[in-house]
Amino acid sequence: MRHLTEEELVGRYYDARGGESEPNAAAALHLDTCPECAEAYAALENDVAEMRFAEPPARNAAYGERVWAQLAGSLTAYENRKWSWLRGSVWRGLGYAAACAVLVACAFIGGRLWERREARIAAGNTHPAQRPAQQPPQRVVVVVLSDHLDRSERLLVELKHTDADSDEMVSPLRDEARSLLAANRICQKNAKQEDDPALATALSHLDHVLAELASQPGGLNKQTITRLQEEMNADGLLFEVRVLRSRIPDQQAAGAARTEKGTI
Amino acid sequence: MVSNVRMDKNDHAAIQAVLSGDKNAYGALVVRHSQSLFRVAYRITGNEADADDVVQEAFLRGYQKLEGFESRSNFGTWIYRIAVRCALDRIGSRKVDESRRVGDENDPEQDQLQVADRSAGPDRLLLSGEIAALQQMAMQSLTPTERTAFVLRHMEDCSAEEIGAALGIVPNAAKQTVFRAVQKLRVRLASLRVKI
Repeated sequence: MRHLTEEELVGRYYDARGGESEPNAAAALHLDTCPECAEAYAALENDVAEMRFAEPPARNAAYGERVWAQLAGSLTAYENRKWSWLRGSVWRGLGYAAACAVLVACAFIGGRLWERREARIAAGNTHPAQRPAQQPPQRVVVVVLSDHLDRSERLLVELKHTDADSDEMVSPLRDEARSLLAANRICQKNAKQEDDPALATALSHLDHVLAELASQPGGLNKQTITRLQEEMNADGLLFEVRVLRSRIPDQQAAGAARTEKGTI
Repeated sequence: MVSNVRMDKNDHAAIQAVLSGDKNAYGALVVRHSQSLFRVAYRITGNEADADDVVQEAFLRGYQKLEGFESRSNFGTWIYRIAVRCALDRIGSRKVDESRRVGDENDPEQDQLQVADRSAGPDRLLLSGEIAALQQMAMQSLTPTERTAFVLRHMEDCSAEEIGAALGIVPNAAKQTVFRAVQKLRVRLASLRVKI
């Protein structure tokens, strides 16, 4: 059987005096059954009972009044304290607001700078082959209308006088037609945007001829060449191109050199 | 119980008045609680002048912290704890008579000899006075925390929870502190008991 320690005996003594929310019931039970511990407990009770300390000197009813009289002069009324606190809090609040505004501005500017720097780094690090497919590099083609009409006129002249039986003459025509086709479509689109129906119509006819020359299935044969020559003559396409080309110098003289720009 | 509830209501009304700017309402709280504060302050400090100072300081601190007082608390308990802390600070900072303390700790026979020398007289009152003085000396040998914990438990009948709350320690630590104080006092007073 384990005997109670001195600490447990002291604890039990104050438990018995009351006031503890959780008295040690096991210690109380042990003291009832263990004579040795009961004896030690009795000795403790005697010792503690002899501890008689001097009682505090009496203070009369006026003591509280006296304390208050000594204290009152050094206290500041709460109303004043509240207002001074309020004034302090206004400045403190403004300070916090300014600090927050500066913080937000710094974060915003920092974010913008960081974004730009990241974009620059990404642009610098990305190999052209690794660039996204949805944004292919776009070639800017500057097409000068007068040049285009010059080349078209020469092609039509060659077509008019070509020998349909000679492959040597037909093959360069096809290559030249392919080269002119894209430029013609840009000029045609631009003419429509600028509301120039005469130019647009002529370029449309030209487009038809160039397309026939450039992409005839099975290559250009005598029948195709002959048909195109007849159509060209019937439409007066060569004449029309010459007229249009003759208009260009007038416009240039007027200071409006016409340059067609587009993307392919 | 009813009077306690009424006192609580009166205390809370006075606190509201003080916080609304009526400084004099605090006077009612001072008058109502100064006796109990003086009692505990005297028991901890063992000195009347110190106890008076502790009472004033406690009410001053209480006034300054009154905005932080929770309305569901009991003002008496709250100001009592402040007074205990003030008294603890006071005895902690007070310079003790080093020669007397060293003599107490290094020469346990000294107490016995003092009693032997003076108890030869026929006046029992004088003997009682000496005993009280020696008990007071034994109390001085405790650390400020042990002394405060012992006073609160032995004289003020506070629970371990209340002592812990007043000293800022957990209840178990408060119990151990009380035990150490009782243990020291028993040893100190043992020689006195033998002679008497």
